[in-house]
Amino acid sequence: MKSSYLRASAALACAAVLTACGGGDGQLLLGGQISGVTKPGMVLTNNGGSDYEIPVPSNGTGTTTFFFPTRISSDDKYDVQIKSTPTNVDASSCQLLNNKGRAGFDVTTIQIACAFKTQALTGTVSNLKSQLILVNGADRVIVPAGATTFNMARVAQDAPYGVSILANPAGQSCAIANGVGTMGAADVNNVTVTCEP
Amino acid sequence: MKSSLIRPAIALALAASLAACGGSDKAEFTVAGSVTGIVYDGLVLTNAGVPLKVAPPATAGTPARFAFPDKLEYGDTYDVKVTTNPAHQNCAPGVPQGGIYANNADTAGRLKTIDIAIVCEINKFTVGGTITGLTGAGLVLANGSTGGTYSAATPATPPSTTPIAYELPVVQFGTTYGVTVSKQPAGQVCTVVNPTGTMGDEPVKNVNVTCVAA
Repeated sequence: MKSSYLRASAALACAAVLTACGGGDGQLLLGGQISGVTKPGMVLTNNGGSDYEIPVPSNGTGTTTFFFPTRISSDDKYDVQIKSTPTNVDASSCQLLNNKGRAGFDVTTIQIACAFKTQALTGTVSNLKSQLILVNGADRVIVPAGATTFNMARVAQDAPYGVSILANPAGQSCAIANGVGTMGAADVNNVTVTCEP
Repeated sequence: MKSSLIRPAIALALAASLAACGGSDKAEFTVAGSVTGIVYDGLVLTNAGVPLKVAPPATAGTPARFAFPDKLEYGDTYDVKVTTNPAHQNCAPGVPQGGIYANNADTAGRLKTIDIAIVCEINKFTVGGTITGLTGAGLVLANGSTGGTYSAATPATPPSTTPIAYELPVVQFGTTYGVTVSKQPAGQVCTVVNPTGTMGDEPVKNVNVTCVAA
């Protein structure tokens, strides 16, 4: 008799503990860092639900820390996946790290990195008699004498671009038309450089 | 009988292994490590006043190994510091792979080998200048596609005649910059002087913007 009481109370105690741990309202954070968010539309899920759209960070970098608004509990399994991406993100480029596991403490180590879709930035040059150096910020392109076209590095969709002259050709001065803009969903190929005399 | 043989054998084996550990040969430790990110010449490390020059690696991108010539004995302390930075770079003790803290100072013998992590980064400086004559809202300057943007605050009415100082995000030494007007302000056209260059060893402050009525 005694032992059966003991067993029953032990089972109760166990159940109580389990409820405390496993219940719906957890106390642990679930999140980490994500890159590639410059537009709305990045939606993450945990275990196929708890849809959470990442707010767009204000600094324009597209990189931010995130935490699911729904907290999880100790010992919960988690499996964070991407449900949808913004239109300017190449969904196949997304890499997820530390996105699956069982929670012991706050989960802050999930890493999600997505690259943007990129478009070509090209143009034409006329009357170039010696070497010209063009830049789009950190992208530096040497255009040799006699060239009629040039290719800058590809630019992420929705990023600004501004092609300018770092070094004019010897004895010439060049001007750029259509060198500034914001990259859309199509390649830009109308940057025009005209050199004189 | 059997157990009486085993006991001395165990004792012998223990004695042998102890000798291997403590031994008469004193353990020596080399204060060594690697420098990651070093690109330019000039790095000098010191340990207890002894300087050691570290050159960039022959293959760019690989760590540069270093080892101080003087050996330490068990219990000696070491404290490796960066006394001279390479040109255009800044170096400091870093956290080794798999570690939590920098490991440039410790006691020899606490770990089996000494493998100090030093991390160098190329210096970065801001690009900026002044904006003169701005009366319209919405001016955005950009440094190419990856160098960041600067959005000017909406000017007060009436607009101040004092030029506005601005800064774009930092650019690494040796990298080019090219500042353009990404969005013109309402009713105005702005032009940029000295828009392009290659980052040197100090902030760029001469990329000036002048705005006039369109």
